Amino acid sequence: MKMTKIYEGSHQWIMFGRDEGKPNNIIDTNQYVVRTPNRCLLLDPGGAELFAPMMAAVLHHAPVDQITDLFASHQDPDVISSLGLWDQALTNAKLHAPAVWEGFLRHYSCESIEYIPIPDNGGTIKLESVELQLIPAHYLHSSGNFHVYDPQAKILMSGDVGAAIEGPDSPVFVDNFAAHVEKMRYWHQRWMPSNQAKRVWIERVRNLDIDILAPQHGRMFKGDDVKRFLDWFDALQVGIAV
Amino acid sequence: MTNQTKSQFIAVASITSELSAVMVVAKEISLAAANAKAIAFRAGDKAKGFQPITDFINELAKETIELVTNINIYALVLYRLTVDEFQKTIAYNKFELAAKMAEDAVFAKTMQGPVDHAKLSMQDCQRQFKRDVSQLLGQLEAVMHHARAARVIAANSRIEASQAGEYLQSLQAVAESVDKAAHTIHDNVQRCRIALSIYRNS
Repeated sequence: MKMTKIYEGSHQWIMFGRDEGKPNNIIDTNQYVVRTPNRCLLLDPGGAELFAPMMAAVLHHAPVDQITDLFASHQDPDVISSLGLWDQALTNAKLHAPAVWEGFLRHYSCESIEYIPIPDNGGTIKLESVELQLIPAHYLHSSGNFHVYDPQAKILMSGDVGAAIEGPDSPVFVDNFAAHVEKMRYWHQRWMPSNQAKRVWIERVRNLDIDILAPQHGRMFKGDDVKRFLDWFDALQVGIAV
Repeated sequence: MTNQTKSQFIAVASITSELSAVMVVAKEISLAAANAKAIAFRAGDKAKGFQPITDFINELAKETIELVTNINIYALVLYRLTVDEFQKTIAYNKFELAAKMAEDAVFAKTMQGPVDHAKLSMQDCQRQFKRDVSQLLGQLEAVMHHARAARVIAANSRIEASQAGEYLQSLQAVAESVDKAAHTIHDNVQRCRIALSIYRNS
């Protein structure tokens, strides 16, 4: 599992992905960790297949008992089907996930982890001195969907928005936006169902000061590429399968 | 899923299937008892010895239905335990793998707690499963006992039927149906016992 530190300040952001041991027939995912002195938050911790390499990678940064929080942007298996395993490994953790998905996500088993339902209008996760904002991203693509914004690090973890399917050796940041567009086009047209939801999300996100846009698949965007992505997404017609 | 887990799931599922057939047959015995009672009543003195037998048959059928209902509830508990054990085994294997992959990690040692805990939980489930299987086998033995008793009653019924004059054929048919039902119950329960016996607590 490749680990890339993307922010270092009073706390850290680490991106995990491009797992070499991943079976070929499951989609590649990016996991993110926010590390404060005594706590650790896993963002979209991944599928059950990925649990062991992910846990092993996190142990480079935090002991098990300091993994105190999990966040699931939505209900998909590549996002959170590892929940039942984290549930058995962690003794004192919370899962922050959309309220509308609670009854569904509990199918993965969530007995010892406390489910903290995120209401439709969003909320915050307080991790020691760090306050992360939970930005509504409903229908992008899931009907109950949130992204995580860190105003201090200026990072927006954007779930499936900004995603692209890439090979295991691809860089973690977009280095040529124009060339990257074709890797994202079909994904966004097919997976994102609503132009209206897209416009609302873009309006909301344009008000945030973002240095890095960090999707759950493919490469991250930084600097001017963030604005380029928002402009490109704004102009794109989505929901093409109907 | 390992072959051991697969066969455990199949064994538990097969109990429910076999027992649902036993339930149908036990209800048939109950019906046969009601039928026999009506014939014996009509036969009057000619079937005097048959009348108490019908009560036995009915009682036996009721007890069998009750036992099977309880066993079905128990089988459901056993099924849940099998699922639990399966999940705990997966967790233990994944935790061990994570610990191995994290060998050079700064906090690798902190994984030992979850590994040990998962191992204990898995072993607890395995022990509990064996204990529950032993108890279930005891309950199945009780059903077998009922089936054997039903066959004895069927033999007695034949003797009493032979003295019932023109009612002989009707009462013999009742005895035959009880005997056949007892056979079926015996065979089905025996299959359940064989399926479970390899998991019994030694």
